[in-house]
Amino acid sequence: MNDNAKKRRGSTFGDVLRIMFLGRSHTKLSLLEEEQMQSPYRTMLRNFREKKTAMLGVYIFLLIFLACFFLPIWFPADITFQDPTQQNTRPSNNFMKVPSALQANVTGLDGGAVFGVGVDLSGKVYQWGNLSAKLKAIPTGMDPIVEVSAGLDHVVALSSTGKLYTWGNDRFNLGSIPAAAMNTPIKQVAAGHQISLALAENGNLYVWGNENITRISTRGVQGTIDKVVVNTTTAIALTKDKRVVALSSRETPFNYVPDAIQGRVVDIATTDRSAAALTTDGRVYVWGGLDYGVQEIPERIQGNVVHLVAGRGHFTALLKDGTVASWGWNYYHQTDVPKLSGIVYVSADYFQNYAIDNKGNIHTWGLKGYLMGTDQYGRDTFSRLLVGGRVTLTIGAISVIIAAFIGIIVGSISGYYGGAMDIFLMRMAEVVNAIPFLPLAMILSAIIGSKVSETGRIAMIMVILGLLSWPSLARLVRGQILAEREQEFVTAAKAMGIKEFKIIFKHILPNVITVVLVNLTLSFALCLLYESSLSYLGFGVNEPNATWGNMLYGCNDSTVMSQYWWRWVFPSIALSLCTISINMAGDGMRDAIDPKLNDR
Amino acid sequence: MLKYVLKRLLYIVVVFLIASVLIFALYKSVPGDPARLMLEGNKQNMRPEEYEVAYQAAREKLGLDKSLPVQYITWLFNTIRGDFGYSLTYKMPVKQMIGVPMKNTILLNVTSLIPVFAITIPLGIATAVRRGSKFDNTVQVVTIVGYSLPFFVIALLFIFLFAVTLPIFPISGVQTPGLSGSPSRMFVDKMYHMALPLIVMVFTSLGGLTRYVRATMIDALRRDYIRTARAKGLTEKVVIYSHAFRNALIPFITIMTGWFISIFSGSVVIERTFLWNGMGKVIIDALNQQDFAVSLTMVMFYLILALVGNLLMDLSYVLADPRVKLT
Repeated sequence: MNDNAKKRRGSTFGDVLRIMFLGRSHTKLSLLEEEQMQSPYRTMLRNFREKKTAMLGVYIFLLIFLACFFLPIWFPADITFQDPTQQNTRPSNNFMKVPSALQANVTGLDGGAVFGVGVDLSGKVYQWGNLSAKLKAIPTGMDPIVEVSAGLDHVVALSSTGKLYTWGNDRFNLGSIPAAAMNTPIKQVAAGHQISLALAENGNLYVWGNENITRISTRGVQGTIDKVVVNTTTAIALTKDKRVVALSSRETPFNYVPDAIQGRVVDIATTDRSAAALTTDGRVYVWGGLDYGVQEIPERIQGNVVHLVAGRGHFTALLKDGTVASWGWNYYHQTDVPKLSGIVYVSADYFQNYAIDNKGNIHTWGLKGYLMGTDQYGRDTFSRLLVGGRVTLTIGAISVIIAAFIGIIVGSISGYYGGAMDIFLMRMAEVVNAIPFLPLAMILSAIIGSKVSETGRIAMIMVILGLLSWPSLARLVRGQILAEREQEFVTAAKAMGIKEFKIIFKHILPNVITVVLVNLTLSFALCLLYESSLSYLGFGVNEPNATWGNMLYGCNDSTVMSQYWWRWVFPSIALSLCTISINMAGDGMRDAIDPKLNDR
Repeated sequence: MLKYVLKRLLYIVVVFLIASVLIFALYKSVPGDPARLMLEGNKQNMRPEEYEVAYQAAREKLGLDKSLPVQYITWLFNTIRGDFGYSLTYKMPVKQMIGVPMKNTILLNVTSLIPVFAITIPLGIATAVRRGSKFDNTVQVVTIVGYSLPFFVIALLFIFLFAVTLPIFPISGVQTPGLSGSPSRMFVDKMYHMALPLIVMVFTSLGGLTRYVRATMIDALRRDYIRTARAKGLTEKVVIYSHAFRNALIPFITIMTGWFISIFSGSVVIERTFLWNGMGKVIIDALNQQDFAVSLTMVMFYLILALVGNLLMDLSYVLADPRVKLT
């Protein structure tokens, strides 16, 4: 019989789950049948499912939960990743949205940090992507342009008449082209990280811009340079006698050019930390900082390469047969080359790649933009939102579990035994409850937090929130147990000599568990709010870990509020939506289990 | 009654002692040696032996040379006497330092009480009376949204709307910097700065309180005496305000106690967001600058407030409802 009872209970719980997620099979019952057959659980469930707002809350929360726990599989976020070139980028999807006017009508393209620039056959300049006001102000009345180069936030252009133009960021003398460069025939321009380079026909290199970041030394090579490439820290030159020279004033990894290739290099390219050279026999050599897998050159391309370009962490090579290969850093899918053939021109910069085929069609791959923009460190808000949601929800859930554990034990003991124990425990609960929550949590976090690691902090926040939010639950459980302990079944259990602890936790507690569950749901929302408030104030989870609260840290600033709205709007929406849906569900649950509501 | 009060006072003393031991333990586990911190500025100007002497003197002055129980008792008595210690960042006694912030906080919180109650009580009663109607359901959804929204989200939203997009109010601060003039002008300026935090504070309290009033009113309206009152032919107004609301006051008092404490503690989030120089901001600044004497003093202060507030709550139950017997 005991066995039978167990089975029945199990199936009831299974029913609960099934009905919750799959819906009920509706068989019309007469009133009498219904009255007889419905267990309290079913009544609750029916009441709950009838409440539209509550069900809406459940669905929204499930959606957020699934998004936060499963979407990061497709949108991985490296929390330690930072990239100043991408900072405060507005939500966009147009970094590589080349204007249709350029299709089958293009001579050159180049990508900047968050934008692109191209020239058509008639020498007209087009720009796309995330353009600042200064970038949009292309000089009027330019001679037909033959070559453009885009840097961090400025553009340098060379006209067919040999004139140089520059626009975009004009600080650090970026806007003032040296007079010497204006008067010499120029054959190549290159725009880097707040720096511009112009290479003259005679092999002289002219440099202007912010030389504090990019220090370029041309000593000893002036007059011999044939090609120059630039990255975010330095530049590398290819001389007329096919040698590679790092134009850095200091010793850098770029200086260690393999001796074997000197004298037979035909093309060069450089990422932020490594450089590559193409030799006369079509082979590629990489040196410098070998991270992001830049040294893993696909074996099939060796001997077949005709042109080499590079972004911030990847290389792209144009092969003899008109196909393209990319390797290296793939954080923004910049090495995921689509199927291409008949390519005659490739260009890569930052995280974008452009390829032009023999019909003039433009193909692109790499970073298109950010769904929700980026923050002040250039991190993608969307992926941080997902990862942050995971941390926030986990902290909320675990602190609720801690609070439930303490609250149920304290409340049960206090309610069942009464007397001095009850008075003592309830006074303690009163005190913990009465001291303002956030200040106390902040003090604990500040004192303990200085002694633990960043990951330890997350655990610490869980414990603090749990330790401070048990009183309301304890009081609730105590009240419920007080009402239940005088019931006959308790007396019967006592008479049978069952241990008191067993009576409390196996006989009384299951009778009050629904009320406790509702309360837990509501405290879950509260814990989410407390965690994010703490993190918002800087006393919760800190950088680089993400939570919805600390994404908003420092956002009460008029510049951020008005110009970088995406930094505070999206985390706020996520957090609010989450707490609202939990509260709607919890509220519906409370109404559903309230027997007084049934006597309508 | 008197016996009850005495009994409660005894509890208060016991709980206070236990909590104060915990707070003292927390105070002692704070990183850094207060005596060394005190001498931080003069360290360069002293020879090592001089520094050692000064250090010992500072230890003696702060009472750190005594044993822990002695330190605890001294600290406890000082706290009870109103000597809350010395703020290392402000270089003045904590008691003096918190004067202005306390005034600001009380001003903000007391002013917010008036609109909050003026809105929530009628709204709560109206929704309770019309339970299940379209009006009620709408208010229910709106209030759920209201109390689920984090304070800082509401604050950011209001700043965005009324300080950035439409620059009606200042973004933050208590007073226009460098402003001086007649007291009335200063007062107007302060009110102008207080407007936005006040609006946000009122807004954040509406949801929860309206729902609370509604719940207690529904509970009261279900009672038999309401049916009796209606059966007697009393007007609905009398039934609701005189019979039901009077009985709904008890749970309401519980909420009021929380308010009583928050009047002095302020809202950390709102004060931080609007840089309102109140108690919440004092706590944040103190913690950021490792000035733990200030923050722990405030916890002690809140503790006493909480204990007294709970006693007052129990006593006011009797005032609100003569049937309540205190034992």
